[in-house]
Amino acid sequence: MKMKTAFVGLTTVIALSLPAQAEYPERPIELTIPAGAGGGTDTSARKLAILLEEALGTSIAILNVGGGGGSVGASQFMQSKNDGYSLFATWNSPLTTVPQVQNVAYSLDSFTPIASTSETAYTLCVKSVFPAENGQGFLDELASNPGKYTYGNDGIGGTMQLAAERIFQANKIDAIPIPFGGAGETLQNFLGGHVDIYGGSISTVLPYVENGEAKCLLVTSAADVPALPQASGLEALGMADKETLLWRAILGPKDLDPAIVKKLSDVIETAVNDPGYVEFLKTKGEVPNVVKGPDLGARLQAEFDALAEVSKGLGLSQ
Amino acid sequence: MERRQDIFLGLIFMGVGAAAAWMARSYSGEGGTYPMVLGILLALLGSAVAGKALRSGAYVDRQLIEAPTKMVTAAAACTVYIALVAPLGFYTSSFLLMLMLPAALGFRQWLYAVIVALVFTLVVFLVFSVLLEKPLPRETLLSLLSTGG
Amino acid sequence: MEFYTNALQNVLTLWPIAAMVGATLLGVFIGALPGLNPVMAIALLLPLTYSMDPLVALAMVAGIYNGSMYGGAIPAILLRIPGTPASIATTFDGYPMADKGEAGKALKIACWSSAMGGIASAIALMTVGPLLARVTLYFGPAEYFWIAIFGMASVGVMVGSDPIKGIMAAVLGLLIGTIGIDSLSGQARFTFGQTWLLGGLDLIVVLVGLYALPPVLQLAEKCDLKGLSAAQLKLTNVPFKPGELKGLLPTWLRASSIGIAVGILPGAGGNIAAFLSYNAAKKASEDPGSFGKGNPQGVAAAECGNNADNAASMIPALSLGIPGNVVAALVLSALTIHGLQPGPQLFHQNPVLVGGFMMEMLITSLLIFLLGGTVATRVFAQFQRLPGVLLVPSILILMCVGVYVINGRPVDLWVMLLAGIAGYFLEKVNVPLAPVILGMILGPMAEQSVRRALLISRGDATELLTRPLSATLAMATVLVIAWPLIKVIRDRNRKKREAGHR
Repeated sequence: MKMKTAFVGLTTVIALSLPAQAEYPERPIELTIPAGAGGGTDTSARKLAILLEEALGTSIAILNVGGGGGSVGASQFMQSKNDGYSLFATWNSPLTTVPQVQNVAYSLDSFTPIASTSETAYTLCVKSVFPAENGQGFLDELASNPGKYTYGNDGIGGTMQLAAERIFQANKIDAIPIPFGGAGETLQNFLGGHVDIYGGSISTVLPYVENGEAKCLLVTSAADVPALPQASGLEALGMADKETLLWRAILGPKDLDPAIVKKLSDVIETAVNDPGYVEFLKTKGEVPNVVKGPDLGARLQAEFDALAEVSKGLGLSQ
Repeated sequence: MERRQDIFLGLIFMGVGAAAAWMARSYSGEGGTYPMVLGILLALLGSAVAGKALRSGAYVDRQLIEAPTKMVTAAAACTVYIALVAPLGFYTSSFLLMLMLPAALGFRQWLYAVIVALVFTLVVFLVFSVLLEKPLPRETLLSLLSTGG
Repeated sequence: MEFYTNALQNVLTLWPIAAMVGATLLGVFIGALPGLNPVMAIALLLPLTYSMDPLVALAMVAGIYNGSMYGGAIPAILLRIPGTPASIATTFDGYPMADKGEAGKALKIACWSSAMGGIASAIALMTVGPLLARVTLYFGPAEYFWIAIFGMASVGVMVGSDPIKGIMAAVLGLLIGTIGIDSLSGQARFTFGQTWLLGGLDLIVVLVGLYALPPVLQLAEKCDLKGLSAAQLKLTNVPFKPGELKGLLPTWLRASSIGIAVGILPGAGGNIAAFLSYNAAKKASEDPGSFGKGNPQGVAAAECGNNADNAASMIPALSLGIPGNVVAALVLSALTIHGLQPGPQLFHQNPVLVGGFMMEMLITSLLIFLLGGTVATRVFAQFQRLPGVLLVPSILILMCVGVYVINGRPVDLWVMLLAGIAGYFLEKVNVPLAPVILGMILGPMAEQSVRRALLISRGDATELLTRPLSATLAMATVLVIAWPLIKVIRDRNRKKREAGHR
């Protein structure tokens, strides 16, 4: 393994020193990830980068720039050259959620959408003693006890909170959000009984659903999630339009050459559907989902507008 | 010496604390109270240090810098190096630092210095650029050569 | 038991073993070079482990930590220059022994004592850690708040001769910890309109500056142009007297327990463990006058004590997610880099990794026996022939590359430089640096926990005190803060009484 990377590195160094004028890409690509090393975004981007390296025949250097809920990395990336050698692997929150609550230097126009890669829903779970057994019962219990229940989430104004509040607002529910540093921390406090409801990613809570300690009653996607048979999708509850997902995408800087976008999005589509990568996504509770080019731009804009409305309702917006 | 140093130290911390508390004024809600309390606390502790030194400080000789020229040389070299890393490229500036700093400190075995500098730069290159593939500031020299050739 | 056998199977594979052997050797080397210390080495290494398997990365941390604690003894004994702050106490008797021509023997004792201390400490970690982790599920935001405050209080009090300056340093750290976006309200604090500050100051950037730059500048001030001559590094072998080794056993036992206790408590580090062990050995000795004149017991106590601190300091870190010292803080960030959440979940969800890390702490201690023998020691001693002035730029370059690769932006280098120069002067005026770092780590934890606890209790502050666990922790905190005050009052009363007798 080490030998292989050393070899790849060495060959790129040799390739670098030869002034060959081949077609794109002819030198290593730098991939910025707006999160610290080790998180969900980071691992899925790194796995994908290995496949892309093979397909593109060049090495990809990963740069982690965490902080500010992804806005630090996004702001730093915005300033890179649009020559196709700087790419940005992000999840949706820094682009559609963070600008609602923070003053950021970028907007959706600061990037060129290339392709989305995968998506997953958030889930809301309760302890096994909770007096409800399905999604509708869960919402009814919460609605009839305003202010009684606390739910852990990934941070004030984070996508998870907005996803939940979107549903709660539609059902006139008043639950108290408790922000934590991430799904792992939320889970620990949920299991210890410090918050009543777990809100976060599916893969984190899954082991405790399997051993019966927790039951997940709601997912934030329109469709049901096979891994959580007890949970209702939003379509079954008649709220398909309130769907909020966690999804990942690769973007370029503003005004990236359409030919490069085309080449990259095609390569990404093949890489994402690689059986090994699909298998990897499955362990994280994610499924491949490729939306390319301008369609991705439209998806971002739609999500941005919907979340702007929710955060205005919460009094969070800037 | 020690007394004057402590008074000065206390004053600096008082200043930092007061400035922080002042800035925290404009922050909303609980997000502002905490840094403001910390700023006030820091200012109080600073004044305690200064006050203690004023009351009982002994005139014990305590040297702040042992060899000022050497220390300033090293610190200045480090500053210049950091300033040059981005425009000049990482390996070029590192190699220069390896040669210039020992010389500035009075090292005169040139051959020895060049060999150590070469070996060390090579090891850093192999570890960071080849093995770990970390993006480092690009070499201006290299791109000048390639466009020129 | 299954916990450890599973972990052992994963540790005893090619890469972790190679990493442990390599890192232990590297650690001994780093410890042996005055000016390089373990904290700095691990901080430099950490960004490089991003792409490694976590078990391999942790193996390297364990090796460097244990190896460097022993390595510091080499120059301490041969030259009376402590290689690391923790080996200051080793110079007391180590150098006199070398002076008498017993350098080889002193190094052997140091090596065995280090290994013994490390092994005892690793065993403590392996028994106490999992037990503690089981309890910590009951710790909610209120409890975490008190633990963070407890850590801060004991740091301020334990570090340094001047408690006011210690507390001041801690408050400075707390203030630095508030820089960036407040995760509970989205408010940007002390960012001066700079986007790169939104994420706060990177702990490792500040840490490398504070801990690595001052020793480098001091190395430049010393301006060693020659390195050591071969004659200065000559070792002679003096055989042990019969019964002499057996006589070290009680010292090892005592020093190990002291080191472990110091390790679990937050704030104090290997240097304090070594001093306390040395003093305890001296007090227990039948011939206290021989200490400081080349008594092997003194070397054994100091070296055993500082190594026993290592693994024990991981106990609160792994089970609670609260670092007891700076190295533990680094290990925690290594874990989070690899997507692992320290705390009770860690033992449940990643038993192989936690168990593996504990195993690695144990194995690297054992490795000191094998690798720290006279032959290796002789080789390492040779590195001290490298002129100090050549080390200065080398370390500077390593610092810069280590800091640069974290976020890939030059501005971090300036932060590091600024932190380093501030650290240089702060140290000179007796302001300890460890509280600054711990403040940076514990501050955000304390603030977020208390605000979370208040959200959960709907703004009722009494709940911070009324839960049985939180009340106990609050009491402990008050005790830690009040203890020095009580001591001062007692001393004053005693002095008054004595004055009255005269």
